[in-house]
Amino acid sequence: MLLALDTSTSWASVALFDGRDVLAEETWQAQRRQGDELFPAIERILVNTRTAFSAVTRVAVATGPGSFTGLRVAIAAGQGIARGSGAALVGVSTLDVLAYPHALSKQRTCPLLPAGRDIYYAAFYQERNRRWLRRSPLMVATLPEICRQIGTHTLFVGEIGPETESTLRDLLGPKALFAPPASRMRRAGYLAELGWKELETRTQVKMSEIEPLYVRQPSIRVSFDQTFAAPPADERALGLPKRS
Amino acid sequence: MRILAIETSCDETGVAVVEDGRRIRANVVASQLVHQDTGGIVPEVAAREHLRAIDALTEQALRDAGRGLKEIDAVAATVGPGLIGCLLVGANYARGLALAAGLPFVGVNHLEGHVYANWLYEVAGGEPPADPPPEPQIPAVVLIVSGAHSDLVLMEGHRRFRPLGRTIDDAAGEAFDKVARLLGLGFPGGPLVERAAKDGDPNAFPLPRAVLADRYDFSFSGLKTAVLRRVRELEAKGPVPVADVAASFQKAITEILAEKTARAAAEHAVETVLLGGGVAANLALRAEIAKRIGHPLRVPPPRLCTDNGAMIGAAAFFVLRHRGTEMPVAVRSDMKLA
Ligand SMILES: [Zn+2]
Repeated sequence: MLLALDTSTSWASVALFDGRDVLAEETWQAQRRQGDELFPAIERILVNTRTAFSAVTRVAVATGPGSFTGLRVAIAAGQGIARGSGAALVGVSTLDVLAYPHALSKQRTCPLLPAGRDIYYAAFYQERNRRWLRRSPLMVATLPEICRQIGTHTLFVGEIGPETESTLRDLLGPKALFAPPASRMRRAGYLAELGWKELETRTQVKMSEIEPLYVRQPSIRVSFDQTFAAPPADERALGLPKRS
Repeated sequence: MRILAIETSCDETGVAVVEDGRRIRANVVASQLVHQDTGGIVPEVAAREHLRAIDALTEQALRDAGRGLKEIDAVAATVGPGLIGCLLVGANYARGLALAAGLPFVGVNHLEGHVYANWLYEVAGGEPPADPPPEPQIPAVVLIVSGAHSDLVLMEGHRRFRPLGRTIDDAAGEAFDKVARLLGLGFPGGPLVERAAKDGDPNAFPLPRAVLADRYDFSFSGLKTAVLRRVRELEAKGPVPVADVAASFQKAITEILAEKTARAAAEHAVETVLLGGGVAANLALRAEIAKRIGHPLRVPPPRLCTDNGAMIGAAAFFVLRHRGTEMPVAVRSDMKLA
């Protein structure tokens, strides 16, 4: 059983996954209370699924980008759980989690997360040769700067308020596509799937290597040269959901 | 009862294993030297360092104690007061560990930790001493002084605290830090001012003591401003006599703290006076308080005065032993003693 924990932003999410199906998931607007609300939520999904904690042998945590304080909540909890029970621990980028549900859409997908002061975290994802890949470095930039990199129809997901949505429409016209609000959200069920896959292919890294993605927050500059801190390979396939 | 305890409220990452609230089986502390460059604590930097260090320190504490998690009865962590981003690292790590290991989690008020540091003793070479030091007698007056707190508290019984007074502006340790910076001594200021003061004349420069009459509250900002003004005057004349200024400042601040502590001890029927917090390691402060009180004075050894995991393990034991009392679980930066 895998427990997935995501406290990257004011939205928090936890899920329990058995390797095939999500057994329970809770996603809520935690604001800045992630630190106090994470464990009650974990306990609820364990109780609701009648799962003993000893059945949890894997833990996946979202590593960002996001709020540094928020990210540390889930990562510290994940490290504590791994120390306490010997569960395997894996970190997954928060943008990977946001993009993944849209892998079958065939669209270039751009998850957006607010980084404060009109700045957003973003990256592009696209299927190529039946492989769903991250196609850009991590961007920390304003919406116009991000849109300047866009030449084709792009599906936006993530934390997109009405203002952000209308700015994107102004900048890109019909090229800006939007997933329905409910499917734009970050859900730990997807984090669980990605984390499970990662643990199938990779042996346990050192626990201290699972760190938040501490991206410098530029006041204005684009940092297209900035690559993901971890995992390193831009070419790494994130895995496609099975086609039926 | 063997408790694994974690402290991350400020800039020290501490993990300890403590038995029955008193015997220290392991006590590892990683001080964050990074802050010496900035001359103060940067909360975001401190939180990052906690996360980087916490798991390895926990592993080391268990190894030092020669105990596996199976031989631990509870996991404790500081939940306040302190820097919120720092508290969240230790508290969530500890809650995760407790849940996964099937152990109870105990949230501890950091200030109670400083109080219960007076209950601790070291276990040398694995064997507890034949005659461990007796427990402090209570009721007691407790003075907790550090870079973050200056609290005078009446301890009426275990986990029964009545706040008498606190600083209305800077913490005592902050005043030491600011004076140290003014004198070019470095950070943290407490031990550096104390060392500089050794060769100085404490009566060289008379400095004002804010008297908050009939109250147990402290104020140090007036003293700090007076030191600043005096240093500026001295600079105009030539090289500043650093040792004399340090000694005069130390005398003033220790007198302020000692006077209120002694008055509190005299006005309340207590058995003992207890000290805690980093500034309690200051020998001039201890001497000044000892001189003014008619009670036994207990002070933890210096490495238990500063923030550490063992004191959280001691406090957690008394939380569990006095179960009727309130136990905080949610992290709060502004938690008070109740
Ligand atoms: Zn302290």
